[in-house]
Amino acid sequence: MFSKLLKVSVLTLLTYLLQATVSEYISVWGVAPNIALALIAVMTVCLGRKYTFIISLAIGYLLEVMLPSLDYINLIIYPVCAMLGALVFADKSERALEEAKSGGREIIQLHPHIRTPLCAGVSILVFEIVNLLYIYLSGVSLDSGHFLRSFICILYTMVLAGIFQFPIRLWLGTYKLKKAR
Amino acid sequence: MNVKTPKNKRRKGTNGKLIQLLRNVLIIVIVVVLLALAGTHLLSLITGNAALEAPSNVVTTAITPVQSGFSAVVDWVVEYLYKIKLRSRLELEYNNLKQENEQLVYQAMLVDELQQKLSVYENLFDEVSDNEKMNPLVATVIGRESGNYFSVFTINKGSNDGISEYMAVTMDAALIGFTYNVSPTKCSVRSIIDSEASIGGLIQSTRDQGTVRGTLGIDGQPMCRMYYLPEDLLPRPGDTVVTSGVVMPFPKGIPIGTVRESTRGMESNKQYIVVEPKADFEHVEYVIVLRYQPTAEAVQSSGDSDDLTPTALETVRPIPTVQIGNDFYQLAPTPEPSGDLPLESEQPTQSDGTAPEPTPTAGNSLQYQVPSGSQTDASVGFTLPPTASPTPTIEPLELTVEDD
Repeated sequence: MFSKLLKVSVLTLLTYLLQATVSEYISVWGVAPNIALALIAVMTVCLGRKYTFIISLAIGYLLEVMLPSLDYINLIIYPVCAMLGALVFADKSERALEEAKSGGREIIQLHPHIRTPLCAGVSILVFEIVNLLYIYLSGVSLDSGHFLRSFICILYTMVLAGIFQFPIRLWLGTYKLKKAR
Repeated sequence: MNVKTPKNKRRKGTNGKLIQLLRNVLIIVIVVVLLALAGTHLLSLITGNAALEAPSNVVTTAITPVQSGFSAVVDWVVEYLYKIKLRSRLELEYNNLKQENEQLVYQAMLVDELQQKLSVYENLFDEVSDNEKMNPLVATVIGRESGNYFSVFTINKGSNDGISEYMAVTMDAALIGFTYNVSPTKCSVRSIIDSEASIGGLIQSTRDQGTVRGTLGIDGQPMCRMYYLPEDLLPRPGDTVVTSGVVMPFPKGIPIGTVRESTRGMESNKQYIVVEPKADFEHVEYVIVLRYQPTAEAVQSSGDSDDLTPTALETVRPIPTVQIGNDFYQLAPTPEPSGDLPLESEQPTQSDGTAPEPTPTAGNSLQYQVPSGSQTDASVGFTLPPTASPTPTIEPLELTVEDD
């Protein structure tokens, strides 16, 4: 029990540190990826919504405290984006599956390796929309350059999530778990 | 029927529930703590209360050293990767520059060689242009005899190009030698330092002539000696020796060299002076053969001046009649009129048809009476009107003829 919590804590701290220090070095065409949302998406598919909320809140809080670019933004936007992604792509609970089965409804569960980048895509899409909206409301006229940068950021973050999921899932022991019914 | 559950399973189930409970409690605590932290932070931002910033400060204090260490590691890794990237770039750049440098060095060598050739060609062109009347021909040295006693080389031009034997060969406006052994496509050149070469030379300042011979076969030195100079001549060192135009049909005035030693007058057994050739015999690549024809040159040069046309006088020289003592002793001194002079004016007459009378003066001198008018003409062209040939009458001299 505690080992899982410890791993999640370390992973949360590592996610924050990577976002705070590494992301600027791995920018492509001047666009830095959002490593935090990518790793949150990986943990969302691995661990579920409950842990997603905790991790995203912790990362948002750390970013808000340590890198206060805008007031409230990081603290709010990270949990929101992560939870939106988790709402769609997190593993369904056993009860939800039973209910769907008993109700005669068919629940389509994509493969976790596919859901992870998609979850990251949804999270970063919301994140970019909020950021673009913010700068638009600040008086900046949006042009194709902004959208191109956002598009590159979304793609880059999805690719990173797709890459990071393998070592993280291995480290968290997700591959050893039995499949849910 | 009651199924009895094993004791360890009952204990495990109890523990599992406890662990699940603890996990939920722990998660709830974590969530509460996080929410509390977030809430205090939001409140501190909204209200500006410094006391509410305390939790954030604690977190910041705890995270900062961790982040500093992690940032240092990241920076080190990034720097290391950058160095590797830079090194690979440097290596690539070094290889490219090395290759480019090799090409540039090769091109520089080529340019130097071409520049050298251009310089040689410029000198040759200047020399050819300056001596165009001497019908110059540029030739390339294709062979050289590098002996200790003879200095002979072969050029790639021969009788097909108008070269005949004993034509002057020059380089850098200095005499190198002369042609011999001419074949249709090549000929040999014997240089002036060869002891077999004998060329008519002239000391430019004193105009004294002599014969220049090479010393290679005598003492192995690439020098020349000038023989047959007047005995009272003591040329100064540095005097220029040029071709005299005699002995061989060379153009006159081609520089041969400069006088190096002038000790001939001091040493009685030294019948020559040493002349240092002007040409550099160590670096002969291209030469100029002067296909000079003396007769053709003379005719050509005489026809150049149109305004100065020497014309023979139409008069003949007077034939004085000298009477010494008695009448039977008469002398007719004189220069014979040249055949070129017109004969019809041998008996000149004055304008009135009478012959001019000479005017005898005292003494032995003869004075010719020239008819007045424009008989003497000093205009350019040397054309004088025909004048009468005076016949002077000299008074008889008192001469004594002694018998032997």
